[in-house]
Amino acid sequence: MSNDILFLAEFSGGAPARSALELATGAAELASQSGGSAVALAYGSGAASGAGALGAHGAARAIVLGDEDRPAITFAPAAIAAVRDAGLAVLAPATPNGRDLAAALVGSLDLPAFGPVRAVRVVDGAVESEQATLQGSVITTARPADGAPSPSVVLVLANTFTPAEGGSGTAEVTQTGDAAESALAKATVAESHEAEAKVVNLEEATVIVAGGRGVGGEEGFGPLRDLAEALGGAVGASRAAADAGWIPYQLQIGQTGKVVKPSLYIGAGISGAIQHRVGMQTAEHVVAINRDPDAPIGEFADLFVVGDLFEIIPALTDEIRRRKGA
Amino acid sequence: MKIVVCIKQVPATGADKRYTDDLRLDRTGVEAIINPLDEYAIEQALRLADAGTADAVTYLSMGPDQASEALRRALAMGGDDAVLITDPALAGADEWTTAKVLAAALDKLAPDVALMGMASDDARGSLVPGAVAAMRDVPLLSYGSELALADGEARVRRLSATGYDWIAAPLPVVATVTDQVGEPRYASLKGIMAAKRKPMETWSLGDLGLSADDLHGAALTKVTDARAPEEKPPTERIENLPAPEAAAKIADWLAARKLI
Ligand SMILES: Cc1cc2nc3c(=O)[nH]c(=O)nc-3n(C[C@H](O)[C@H](O)[C@H](O)COP(=O)(O)OP(=O)(O)OC[C@H]3O[C@@H](n4cnc5c(N)ncnc54)[C@H](O)[C@@H]3O)c2cc1C
Repeated sequence: MSNDILFLAEFSGGAPARSALELATGAAELASQSGGSAVALAYGSGAASGAGALGAHGAARAIVLGDEDRPAITFAPAAIAAVRDAGLAVLAPATPNGRDLAAALVGSLDLPAFGPVRAVRVVDGAVESEQATLQGSVITTARPADGAPSPSVVLVLANTFTPAEGGSGTAEVTQTGDAAESALAKATVAESHEAEAKVVNLEEATVIVAGGRGVGGEEGFGPLRDLAEALGGAVGASRAAADAGWIPYQLQIGQTGKVVKPSLYIGAGISGAIQHRVGMQTAEHVVAINRDPDAPIGEFADLFVVGDLFEIIPALTDEIRRRKGA
Repeated sequence: MKIVVCIKQVPATGADKRYTDDLRLDRTGVEAIINPLDEYAIEQALRLADAGTADAVTYLSMGPDQASEALRRALAMGGDDAVLITDPALAGADEWTTAKVLAAALDKLAPDVALMGMASDDARGSLVPGAVAAMRDVPLLSYGSELALADGEARVRRLSATGYDWIAAPLPVVATVTDQVGEPRYASLKGIMAAKRKPMETWSLGDLGLSADDLHGAALTKVTDARAPEEKPPTERIENLPAPEAAAKIADWLAARKLI
């Protein structure tokens, strides 16, 4: 048993997901506390050629689980083989794919599971994780029970770690060993439908301008897009806006959408229902624009602007453009 | 085709929640409901039953005695029968334990599809379905906005980065569905009456051939602290200002925090 910190590094279309870079840095941070190394478990198209470059963000080694675009869960047998008896913790992104693989590890190897965490550290030779439970009403700290098997599997929210930049290291790349037969490998993509417009990955955005039912329609998102562009950010939405078909479901924030942790979230025409709140409450700064002075979002926003979004948003976009131009 | 829907009883969304001195959720006096996301799994199963694709729908829950109320409520929506797994040794169960117990129960029930909600309201790890699939060595089809069954195969429609895919696997499977399945039906008065006569069994750990020792006590994890979140500074408000002035104030606020 080593003190290594492993992490799932997803690749697609030839490039690493931002979560892979974040977790490389997070794993290196924890490895410095545990006295081990950060080890990537790289999968998806581009993993074989790109895994080495994770060294620049903190990975000492990388094990390639597979290099094709196929359902993430089908990499589970290789992940299980790589994780068996290895290390103190496995960090997994708290995304659908990351959760599926993490769950396969927990179930196959009988491992303790944590998260999604808002902080994680190594204390007295074990991982200690901090998570918000019960819709954020309680913060709990948890550790593996005495005598529990290692490694601990830890789900990590996007933007919990900031990728270290400017490093020049290369991770030492190896292939995964023999994987046991597993039914988890049997999932296949039977049909694939691409949307016409390109959709951004909201989890990677550091500024999000989100619109809700108050935006009123597809065109109503226009002014939000302009503001997002002026701020260098992305547009998101509440479920009400996605259900109405104004915006793709990939951009929904909340319990059943994306859980985001940008440095700035601006919500316009969003009431702040609990299911929306759990998806954005860890944003560093929350600004809400709502014409209802009693909207629930006003109770937890950092800045609450009471007014009509169709007046405030364009004025704000102009103001920001003017200041940036100056 | 037989479907088992796994459901969890949780405290009502938005209810006041406390932890007991031994760091477990204090459920006394808190209204309990079916985990809202499990209702979509129920709805999906009942739609497959309505269409004649599924010929038996069983509900399975692990929890305290009162979780039988959640099972009765599910039976009032439709379906055939229910199993409650309850055992004093399960108090404080974590995700691994829950998966272990559900996997053992599913081994006994042997459904073609074990169907679950995509997450639970009170924990949100979403790890139980995949762990159950791994323990039973069956495929996992997760986050479906629709589940389809035909020719010995299950498929889920799942959002991809830019569109959606249909992911397929041979039966039996563990599947999870999202709230895009469609709104869960209400229980009718007739349904509520009928539910009272539907069979419900109660199983203990022993009935599953498990003991507390197999479950590492009740958990592989332990909670060492539970506390209220940090107090945030009070919300600053901008109101009753013409838009350009409000915009200038917002920009000042953002600039002071180096956000622009
Ligand atoms: C199981 C389950 C899961 C869910 N998951 C999610 C989820 O992941 N994400 C999510 O967002 N929701 C989710 N919901 C839905 C959630 O409960 C709310 O219904 C939803 O978030 C409401 O969206 P909204 O705030 O856009 O709309 P509303 O609640 O209708 O709020 C609209 C707001 O816009 C304001 N407004 C209107 N016009 C203007 C204007 N011109 N200028 C300024 N303000 C204006 C109004 O004052 C109001 O506050 C879920 C619900 C359930 C049951």
